Amino acid sequence: MITIALAKGRLADESIGLLKKANIDCGDLEDPSRKLIFQNRDQSLRFILVKPSDVPTYVEYGAADIGIVGKDTLLEEGRSLYEMIDLGFGKCRMVVAGFPEKKNAWITYANTRVATKYPNIARNYFSQRGESIEIIKLNGSVELGPIIGLSDVIVDIVESGRTLKENGLEVLEEICKISARLVVNRISLKTKSSEINRLIECIQKVLEDGIND
Amino acid sequence: MKNWKIHIPPGVQDYLPDECYNKRKIEEKIRRIFYLNGYDEIETPIFEYFDVFTGGKSSIEQEQMYKFFEIGGRILVLRPDNTMPIARIAATKMKNASLPLRLSYISSIYRYEEMQYGKQREVAQAGMELLGVEGPEGDAEVISTAVQILLELGLKEFQIDIGQVDFFKGLIEEAGLDEEQSEEIRSLIDHKNMLGLEVLLRKFSFSSKVKEILLNLPKLYGNADMLKKARNLSLSPRCRNAIDNLEEVYGIIQDYGLGNYITFDLGMVQSLKYYTGMIFRGMTRELGYPICAGGRYDGLASDFGYDLPATGFALGIKRILMVLERQRALEKIPGIDYLVVVDQNVRSIGYSRMQALRKAGNRVEYFIPSKECQDPLAYARKKGIRRVLIVQARGTTEVVIDSLLDRVMDAKMNEGGETQ
Repeated sequence: MITIALAKGRLADESIGLLKKANIDCGDLEDPSRKLIFQNRDQSLRFILVKPSDVPTYVEYGAADIGIVGKDTLLEEGRSLYEMIDLGFGKCRMVVAGFPEKKNAWITYANTRVATKYPNIARNYFSQRGESIEIIKLNGSVELGPIIGLSDVIVDIVESGRTLKENGLEVLEEICKISARLVVNRISLKTKSSEINRLIECIQKVLEDGIND
Repeated sequence: MKNWKIHIPPGVQDYLPDECYNKRKIEEKIRRIFYLNGYDEIETPIFEYFDVFTGGKSSIEQEQMYKFFEIGGRILVLRPDNTMPIARIAATKMKNASLPLRLSYISSIYRYEEMQYGKQREVAQAGMELLGVEGPEGDAEVISTAVQILLELGLKEFQIDIGQVDFFKGLIEEAGLDEEQSEEIRSLIDHKNMLGLEVLLRKFSFSSKVKEILLNLPKLYGNADMLKKARNLSLSPRCRNAIDNLEEVYGIIQDYGLGNYITFDLGMVQSLKYYTGMIFRGMTRELGYPICAGGRYDGLASDFGYDLPATGFALGIKRILMVLERQRALEKIPGIDYLVVVDQNVRSIGYSRMQALRKAGNRVEYFIPSKECQDPLAYARKKGIRRVLIVQARGTTEVVIDSLLDRVMDAKMNEGGETQ
């Protein structure tokens, strides 16, 4: 049996859509119940719904063989996994945002203050450029940081950029592009190779057909 | 205020009796296999100079080591690795020993690691090193010994996944990349990140032939047929030699009748500074991470002043314990066979009775009455001891306790207690 960890929320819905297109039986996964574990009819697949940031953990430990999760979560968690497919949905960008008029002002600070839900990504990005920063970890409404004066800039994901705009913030730099990825445990890929590769082939075929449509 | 007296630091553990019993059994089985294969066990200090583990071929980061200071002297570290001390010994105290050297160890290593599985920072290991042997015979000896051990430990299913770092190194050499660029590519291949690899390779201008092989590297895994596929890609001599080496190693393992445990992965590219040839990992369906790992590390001993080819591997004992538990193959520690109650005036008879039972392999406990329990039968019932031997001047009585019915089943007189 293969266990697949899905990130709760919109990614899970899109993942189920993709699996259905690939003719993979998801059992009663679509039921909006409070169940955490779902099995398909022939018991060959088991799905678990977990918090996005926990998906890499389940997969790294092998508690799940496969996971579907955003690249942002993968970068932040830094787990040792096989990242096999870019699924193409959940697209957005990881950016540094702030008030553009302050763009030059904030670099005069010895330590730029960065508010973010992604402390590891922020730390890696700025340290690669040799800049020292002070990280302020927030759990939501990160845009408030520069407005209230808690931080100089934020590091966050943006999709349309509307929330930023409404708050007078702008993208200052793009760190990287984000989308949903299919990840596989490093051991499972070998010990359960036939089951996992069959699954991956089905999904890849749907993705290729989608591009050709 | 937290009472630190009753806590242990993160990353270490107590081995309580049942787990400790199984750990020792595993260690004894491993020790026996090493011994039978001609490997001599050695022990190295638990702390050494920091210098032993740094520079040259070491793949251990400074941040991972537990460091402290010798009074008035140099930096010391808790042993973060077992192989480097063995390379040190091979290059110094055993330099005049005839080659090859076959050495083994069963001891823990200490590493500070944030993300390590289970966050173990004291890692119980067993391993062996074969020094002074070049070529596939030595590599096959290491792999086949690993298989012998996993079989002896009773693992129901497992596989050994083999790679060859020289294949990747050959491609990097052909592409003419520097260390930083090759590390970027290595990391993407190590994560089988095809997309990232494709995007990155577009930036480089080396031959598209090498690019295509690099791009395919994450997919070059599977059974021995994969090696044929890899061979058909047009390759530099260095890459071809790497494939030749794997095929030779595989041929030997097949001759040993162990070929069905083997799979291959040319995209296995970790610890490149350290490894120089064949590398491998042992895995099972029960655990999401390897249970053993090893490979060829020809340059390491030269860090210590002795140019010596070498190959070896190590097992993670805690991981083996976890796999065996999931396969329901762990045992409870055996109970006490006899509780012996001795009258003070026949102490010497009592003691020799106990010793006779112990010699015959029984676990024997001497009954010492306490405030909580004066009655040996009640004590035996509570502890699940089936036989109680009561040694008195008038003879010895054996009482068999039926734990289900909680009553004395059988009491028989045993002549001879007095006459001894």
